[in-house]
Amino acid sequence: MNTIRFYTHSIRMLMKSRLQYPLSFTVQTLAQLVMEAGEMLAVLLVIDRFGGLKEWSGGEMLIFFGVMSITFYMTEIFGRGITGGIDSMIRQGGMDTLLIRPRSIMEQMICRDVDPRRIGCIAVGLTALIAGSAQTGLTWTFIRILLLLEAVFFGMMMVLGLFLIEATCSIFSVRSLEMINALTYGGRSACQYPIDVFPRPIRLLFSVVAPFSLTLHVPVSFIVGKPLFGWPQWTAFVCPLSGAVILAVMTVVFNIGIKHYRSTGS
Amino acid sequence: MSYIHVSDLSKTYIVRKKKSGSFLAREKTEVKALQGMNFEAEQGELIGYIGPNGAGKSTTIKILSGILTPDSGEVTVGGVCPWKDRKRHVGRIGVVFGQRTQLWWDVPVRDSYDLLRDIYRVSRADYDSQLRRLTDVLDLEPLMNTPLRMLSLGQRMRVELAGSLLHRPELLFLDEPTIGLDAVSKLMIRDFLKQENRENGTTVMLTTHDMEDISALCSRVMVIGKGQKLYDGGLNELLSAYDTVHIMTVRYADPSVCPVLPEGCETVAEEDALKITYRPDAVPTPVLLSALQEAGTIRDLTAQPQNIDRLVADMYKEMGM
Repeated sequence: MNTIRFYTHSIRMLMKSRLQYPLSFTVQTLAQLVMEAGEMLAVLLVIDRFGGLKEWSGGEMLIFFGVMSITFYMTEIFGRGITGGIDSMIRQGGMDTLLIRPRSIMEQMICRDVDPRRIGCIAVGLTALIAGSAQTGLTWTFIRILLLLEAVFFGMMMVLGLFLIEATCSIFSVRSLEMINALTYGGRSACQYPIDVFPRPIRLLFSVVAPFSLTLHVPVSFIVGKPLFGWPQWTAFVCPLSGAVILAVMTVVFNIGIKHYRSTGS
Repeated sequence: MSYIHVSDLSKTYIVRKKKSGSFLAREKTEVKALQGMNFEAEQGELIGYIGPNGAGKSTTIKILSGILTPDSGEVTVGGVCPWKDRKRHVGRIGVVFGQRTQLWWDVPVRDSYDLLRDIYRVSRADYDSQLRRLTDVLDLEPLMNTPLRMLSLGQRMRVELAGSLLHRPELLFLDEPTIGLDAVSKLMIRDFLKQENRENGTTVMLTTHDMEDISALCSRVMVIGKGQKLYDGGLNELLSAYDTVHIMTVRYADPSVCPVLPEGCETVAEEDALKITYRPDAVPTPVLLSALQEAGTIRDLTAQPQNIDRLVADMYKEMGM
């Protein structure tokens, strides 16, 4: 209970300071919207040129894109403390401040920052989701809504887990590891398309290492009524749990890493 | 057992440097920050911790405040080991880094404090009374609604100090709290620390390069060099061992007076005054004084101990640092 209170209090405080300059906030939110609209345009161009990819129709592709966009940017809004610049925070010795407070490090990291500007990206994602549903004539039954919520929720956990890889590496390495971005931002760009359009090595990467396919593609393929690889329905509910597994494993690894934290000179 | 107990504390950093001219090979060098540090401290002490840059001061403070895990050695603070039971330990201590802020940069001070109240789980009533007291003593009222980034360094230090004491810690660590501050802020912070220690019994341990901090505040001083403790005791005893040269300036009513001084004094005439340099172990100060008085009517006399920074530099040099 106390943790939730700490989180909401932090978020309220940080939102307030972020919204202190409304003009700057509006401009930046619009910029985010334009950026994400560009991503959506790329999907629309593929649809316009090929009418779809493999057996996926244009409307279905928009749904995949929308769910990915909502998942990823919800993580960035509420998990900004972990997704935003944690590597430089650690390298500059910012962890000292967290370690001298009587709270767990994970708890404090997640309470460190929020990024309401990403609401611009969410708006694009929602538009895609709605347009896709309209085009495919999808009715949002209870079970479909449940699957959607599950996909987004566990997808967010997985994305946080991936960013924790970067955080853990920053404890040991003084150099920024741009490589990890291939999993996070790279995963977002690639997996806005359904996994089965990719060759085998990429499928493996995004199913085993960074399982976007399990948290997102499997449940969404059920939502649109075309189960991936003909898997039974229960898999749509079970696969997204892999997101929680990734986050749990990375939390353990990160906490071991903290023991080796060496701070900076003063 | 003492309140703070440190025995055989060691910490080695491994620094990897890229070899020049080679693509992958890296050199590994070990930096021994602490090599068997020992000390004990009781509750209510005000300890100054000095030593040259890189001697291991910050490493000690960081281990004691639960930030770093040492390679070997034993530490307990009030019966708790800082790195094994971190959350319990840090709930009872306050830490201030002179060079790094711990509050939220873009957020008004009052909001930061409010969040700290939640982090430390301080009750509303406790928090209100403590905040009122700190606001009065440190004169924070005009700063409360300003974002931290807009405060001057001196203001920020006062704000940080108050922030570290909101949960009424029994032990306060300060890593170079007066670095870069002007005279007024320095004095204010020294007075505040003295008061905090006297009235609330807060144990204080501070590192500094400013010897004025030590002489104004600390009854006990520890000197560390190359990761080992070299001195532990009173400041005056420490200084007297290195205090080899004194300077006395004397003005006579009649400027033409020329006193006959004992052997070992050097005299330089400066306008209407005489500047006498002597070694107290060779020429006791009372002997010199009576010699000066015999020569004529003294209008003004000032005694100056040697510059304290020079003393410390000599001491570091002699201790092989």
